[in-house]
Amino acid sequence: MQQTPLFEQYAKHNARVVDFHGWALPLQFAGIIEEHKQVRTEAGIFDCSHMGEFLFTGADAMAALDRLVIGSMTSLAVGKCRYTALLHEDGGILDDGVALRLSEEELLLVTNAGALDSVAALFQQKVPGAKNLSADLAKIDIQGPLAPRILSEFGFECVRSLTFWSGAQLYRKGLDLIITRAGYTGEWGYEIFVPNEGAADLWQELAAHPSVKPCGLGARDTLRMEMGYPLSGQDLTADRTALEAGLDRFIAWDTDFLGKARMEAQRDSGDYQVLTLLKSADKRAPRHGFELVYNGETAGVVTSGTFGPSVNCGIGLGYVPRALAQPGVMLEAGPRKLPVQIETPPFYKESTGRNRIEAHHLQP
Amino acid sequence: MNPDTLKYTEDHEWIVEQRGLYVVGITEYAVDELGEITFVELPEVGRRLERGEDAAVLESVKAASDVLCPVTGVVAEVNDILEMEPDLINRDTYGKGWILKLKDVNVEEYEELMDSRSYRGYLKTVE
Repeated sequence: MQQTPLFEQYAKHNARVVDFHGWALPLQFAGIIEEHKQVRTEAGIFDCSHMGEFLFTGADAMAALDRLVIGSMTSLAVGKCRYTALLHEDGGILDDGVALRLSEEELLLVTNAGALDSVAALFQQKVPGAKNLSADLAKIDIQGPLAPRILSEFGFECVRSLTFWSGAQLYRKGLDLIITRAGYTGEWGYEIFVPNEGAADLWQELAAHPSVKPCGLGARDTLRMEMGYPLSGQDLTADRTALEAGLDRFIAWDTDFLGKARMEAQRDSGDYQVLTLLKSADKRAPRHGFELVYNGETAGVVTSGTFGPSVNCGIGLGYVPRALAQPGVMLEAGPRKLPVQIETPPFYKESTGRNRIEAHHLQP
Repeated sequence: MNPDTLKYTEDHEWIVEQRGLYVVGITEYAVDELGEITFVELPEVGRRLERGEDAAVLESVKAASDVLCPVTGVVAEVNDILEMEPDLINRDTYGKGWILKLKDVNVEEYEELMDSRSYRGYLKTVE
């Protein structure tokens, strides 16, 4: 298994390490529920160094990138982030990612570990000037309502001005860092991209703060599911299109991109399945692979499911026919016919991710 | 309960005879695999269960898992505190986290189960 530059830190916090797409990563430290609640109430740090980072330089590279992603990257304003996805030629999803326009000339695209080799090969083939930084950059996410205050205390002045889904470059303790106000937990938080050699120091610095606790993949998964966010490789797979995955609002229909044809056909016919949120009435959860049944007939499949610690019930994501995807519709999930209701996102409605910056957020 | 005096199944349940009834729970290994338990579905008292039949369902944050009946018998008692406090299993699986008690069990099946030493040996083969 591959190790991130933070691997040696895990043991200090009693981590349970698992294989995640070939990477040895912490599933949990103190416990999934405790870490989940830590992020909802204070702050947690996640090692996301396994993720992919690509740098695109110049107008030609960005134009070539636009032909591979569902959205428009050339139109992304400097300092802003945008969610997007990459498709296979047949329209199936290859991976999703978040872009940050670093400058007029440069754009950073952050992708996932699961499809990294395919994504890297695609860029190498189709985008002159794309640079794969994945092996050189570590990534530490700090997530939670106290994140702005904590980073302020550590001298990250930029948090005073970073609005939701924006980013900046900065120089700190001899290192060039990139920071975005983003993450995948729903909470106020930042993703910090740091050269490998500086990762352990930054992690230890943050981990020593009394309001910060290390968090693992388990809590990351429950946090994103409570927000209804799909996970690449789990909910977003090669047999589904971006339209089916509910990524409509990120699709630039007026641009040409790889895999667009199948989605156009789906859009025009209106006949396709869509990813919906499923909520259980109690703590039993729908689980990955559970069949969804409506009125005695197979209607779809669950792609993600868990107990949601902040909503205190079972939750999940699953594909159902578009016509059925209405809030309030009841389905049965899995062998025990667990009743689940279709919900509008997110499950957890009190998240702080989009909060406006006010002075008290930054003061200790 | 002292783990050394219990009997074990290959599916990581433990069982022990206590005052005429047979107490059933899951092992530390099973608890570690499941993680934090969030929901427990218990069988009806009086129900007859065959060896290997689903006796209870445990749901954790990560997964759902069946507890299989270690021996044929009749459900005499269930630990209904688990419905309110499922994480008792995480905290004390060989004690307050017991799941059910059986009566009228097939004693031959009970005698055939692994003792703690064989179970520890078995664990080495699955880890």
